[in-house]
Amino acid sequence: MIRTEHLTKSVNTSEGVLTILKGINLSIDAGEAVAIVGASGSGKSTLLGLMAGLDGSSSGDVFLDGHSLASLDEEQRAVLRGQVVGFVFQSFQLLPSLTALENVMLPIELKGDAEANEKAKQLLERVGLAERGHHYPNQLSGGEQQRVAIARAFATQAKILFADEPTGNLDTATGSKIADLLFDLNREFTTTLVLVTHDERLAKRCGRSVKLVAGEIVSGETNEGTAVA
Amino acid sequence: MVKQMREPRLHSMRASVLSDKKPLSNLLGLAMRLLWRDWTGGELRLLFFALVMAVTSVTGIALFTDRLEKALILESANMLAADRIVSGRGLLPEEVLEEGRVRGLRTAETLSFTSMAFSGSGNMLVAAKAVTDTYPLRGEVIVAEEAFIRGTPIQNGPPVGEVWLESRALSALGVEVGDSVFIGEAELRVGKIIIAEPDRSGGGMVDNAGPRLMLHMDDVEQTNVVQVGSRISYRYLFADDDQQKLNDFESWFRGQEQWLGKYYIRDVRDESEEVSEALNRAESFLLLGSLFAVLLAGIAIALAAKRYSERHYDYVAILKTFGCTSSQIATIYLAIQIVLAAIAIVVGSLLGYLVHQGILLLLESVLLISLPAAGFQPYVIGSLTAFICLLAFALPPLLALRETPPLRVLRKDISQQKISARIPYIFGILGAIFLVYWYSQNFYLTSVLVIVIVGIAGFLSIISYLFLRSSGSVGMKAGSAWKLAMTAARRRRTQNVLQVMVFSVTIMSLLILTLLRTDLIDDWQAQLPEDTPNHFMMNISQNQIEGIEAFFNENGVEGNAFYPLISARVNTVNGVIPQPEEDLESSSERGNLTENAGAEESQYEEIRASIDAQPSAAAGNLDAPDSEAAEEGRRVRGSLSRRQVTWADELPDDNRITAGSWWGEDIKPGYVSIEEDYADWLDLELGDSLEFEVNQQIISAEVSSFRSVRWDNMQPNFFIIFSPGTIDHLGSTFLSTALMEREQKILLNDLIQLFPTIVVIEIDALIEQVQTIIAQVTSAIELISVLVLLCGGLVLLSCVNATLDERFHENAILRTLGAGKKLILSSLLIEFAMIGFVAGLIATMGAEASLYYLQEEIFEQEFNFHYWVWLAGPLLGMLIIAGLGVNSTRQVVSISPLNVLRKVV
Repeated sequence: MIRTEHLTKSVNTSEGVLTILKGINLSIDAGEAVAIVGASGSGKSTLLGLMAGLDGSSSGDVFLDGHSLASLDEEQRAVLRGQVVGFVFQSFQLLPSLTALENVMLPIELKGDAEANEKAKQLLERVGLAERGHHYPNQLSGGEQQRVAIARAFATQAKILFADEPTGNLDTATGSKIADLLFDLNREFTTTLVLVTHDERLAKRCGRSVKLVAGEIVSGETNEGTAVA
Repeated sequence: MVKQMREPRLHSMRASVLSDKKPLSNLLGLAMRLLWRDWTGGELRLLFFALVMAVTSVTGIALFTDRLEKALILESANMLAADRIVSGRGLLPEEVLEEGRVRGLRTAETLSFTSMAFSGSGNMLVAAKAVTDTYPLRGEVIVAEEAFIRGTPIQNGPPVGEVWLESRALSALGVEVGDSVFIGEAELRVGKIIIAEPDRSGGGMVDNAGPRLMLHMDDVEQTNVVQVGSRISYRYLFADDDQQKLNDFESWFRGQEQWLGKYYIRDVRDESEEVSEALNRAESFLLLGSLFAVLLAGIAIALAAKRYSERHYDYVAILKTFGCTSSQIATIYLAIQIVLAAIAIVVGSLLGYLVHQGILLLLESVLLISLPAAGFQPYVIGSLTAFICLLAFALPPLLALRETPPLRVLRKDISQQKISARIPYIFGILGAIFLVYWYSQNFYLTSVLVIVIVGIAGFLSIISYLFLRSSGSVGMKAGSAWKLAMTAARRRRTQNVLQVMVFSVTIMSLLILTLLRTDLIDDWQAQLPEDTPNHFMMNISQNQIEGIEAFFNENGVEGNAFYPLISARVNTVNGVIPQPEEDLESSSERGNLTENAGAEESQYEEIRASIDAQPSAAAGNLDAPDSEAAEEGRRVRGSLSRRQVTWADELPDDNRITAGSWWGEDIKPGYVSIEEDYADWLDLELGDSLEFEVNQQIISAEVSSFRSVRWDNMQPNFFIIFSPGTIDHLGSTFLSTALMEREQKILLNDLIQLFPTIVVIEIDALIEQVQTIIAQVTSAIELISVLVLLCGGLVLLSCVNATLDERFHENAILRTLGAGKKLILSSLLIEFAMIGFVAGLIATMGAEASLYYLQEEIFEQEFNFHYWVWLAGPLLGMLIIAGLGVNSTRQVVSISPLNVLRKVV
């Protein structure tokens, strides 16, 4: 489903060229749940951004659902994202001027689906927020906002879900509930999940953990008794 | 297995990727939903209000000025009783009238002459005017059945067999309505009493020499007074509602070379320079006012759009992660803007209509004229302004949105890297220049504004560069409010420079309008104050002065100084005959008219053959109404013609010494004070010795001072004033002025009976008309100023709001770190006050520079430094910006920092 080949990302800084990712080779199969772990600054978010086609690599390539991202321009990547990818972010990224329901409807509408309203309502019900559809993000708690974001991520029934520290902004109890919801839905929709986190316990719930140190994969291990199973 | 699967799918996918176009209707639907949600969420309101404000102010002002301008032109056309007048000495060529008729113009004829009118009990010199049936083409004759009442307007002159008389002629002749009077050999019945006639002030000297007697053109023949060689003044009157037809007719007339210098065509602007100047200035002012309104609205739109697009970076990034392409995002935002503009145009046009109705309502009491209906053009102007503002000011930042990298969802600090932040401003500036030019069609005005704004930008860049260099230290310096403010200002340097620029331009616009308005109105009030004398008495002999003074005292008339009047010519300057090459410049054209009363001399000789020599007038621009004399004056300008000169102890009012000094306590004969333009023309210097020929005698005098003279004050003005004792012995007549109210006019009969040799010129009608027009123009100017002030206030507010987000965030962090409310508020106060002070200072400089050009070149006013503004401008800027800023950012400290950091505001 996702494969990277010698994926490298460098940026120019005032102190010269900084290489964030150094030739990453990684393959993720359909239906797999993979955690990318590592310390702050190890390059995990950058890797996620590249795999999801949010940014272009310096060299190497990403194959996302069979498409070479390096050969697509931003416009084409955008279309591809719309078709195969869903996102959950640490900072939720709900649109403040839209209600919870409208936030979930947005990607469905973008696809031109006339039943956006119905589908979004069902999803909100699934994440336990049926009553709060008409609330604006600032009227929701952090946990509720992330539920809305999860509902939105699954709204288009994307094949791949990218989650960037989905529990990073939440307290432990809430975070754990959100993680439950995420994995439950992942199972229901048989989505491929790529999850960036530095939370060891969250990573353990994925089928596999890939550890990054200073832009390089230092270990890739299969987790025993994962929640996926 | 995977690999096998991949290739064919890749192809099919790529094909679908490339062809994936979401249906346009789908996108537009989404755009409308976003629009609606943004609207209900309050995101769009500022932008929408800015657009509505642009359309409202521009449409409202355009509607008002359109109607006012039309009305003012109509109203002033009343002064002529026509739109165009052809006049000249002696019979006019019949073909002119014929040509006018062929071109479909309305026509009328008038004929003015002076004559004695007789009745059973008296006689009197009257200014007779014969008119055709169609007279007047513009305006109304106000008539009554009794003398000295308000009367009612009618739109025709007397029928055949009737004369209409001005009130005071009735008592002098001892007649009433219904009685007969003789004019020449014709006996005519007094039909009505004339209270006012539209072109009373527009006549020549012939029309001002006595009370009016109006008769029908067909009765002229039987009077037998008008014969070849008589002093008569013919006029052809033309009018039409189609300006183009009139202009074509005028060009045709001017193309007839055989008439050059013999017959003249004029419109109201030629007729009265006071009115034409007032009209021109008012038009320029209204234009400038609407220009500033457009400019300010544009700035408001730019600011609101910028803020809107900044708040939409995340929006776009998220849309992109969901698969929206750049072109789709552009389509969505374009659609939002167009719909928004369309709604704003409808709302704004409606509000603009209401605003202009409101103005009219407010003006009802002062606006004595009924306004013609407005055209459709103001709405077009308003709508186009909205679209151009949107294109120039709002679209660039919004289109820049599509460049938002989707990675922004992961990393907040990534923003618009691909598009230079300056491009939107370049668009905005170009758009503004286009609007200014399109509006004004005036290259000069456009250049002035562009130069000043570019100057401000350049100046600010230098300031900000210096400021940058001086920042030697780093950190927030959160120790004291002052240091915090300084470092904050420094950190937001780019943003602050922009903000100062917006503030400066806004405050500058407001300063320019306010100062210009004040100067214009002051100028007009000084020109024709309420108590401007409205009657001139000439040909007064020395021994009559006391009697006239006593007469005025007795009857409560406000008399004025008596100026001796004598005709003189410059013979030599320092012994050399001067040969000025050029014509006397236009600035003193009126002075020339004043003195050119020589052209009228012969007329008066005929009118009053018995009167002593030199009956001519040195009366201010009394002669300005008589443009035939003006035309003649222009022709003789080059030569050293005779001038009406005077002598005086005191410097006349409205004269100012520009070089040298007025004779002091110890007055000596042998000195002369010269008007500055005249002195320039003769190339004079202080101390030059001039030789004059006065009454066949040669007199020498030394130039001791140069003076500036207000030619437009309708008072006696002189090029040449001698020191007392220099020419006193040469014999002179005297000139004086008096203010007589309408009900006092009957006293003129007694005055003329008591002092039969004096000539009274009545200019009360002219002064009244000019004062009315000026009053109307003044209220229009006041209103436009207020409207533009309101626009300016809104711009300032949106500019402060534009930086709210960042301040919220930063101050939340400061407060989390333990900074007190007081520290933050005082630092905000200081920062805003600083910005306001700098903006006020720059605005003052810009305003003074612009005013210099505007007043000298467009408003033809004398520019004077407004010293107080240099203090008031910066202080006002400081107070306003600090007040608005602190008021708007008070929330910064009242909202919990957690909420800010969680971005829920």
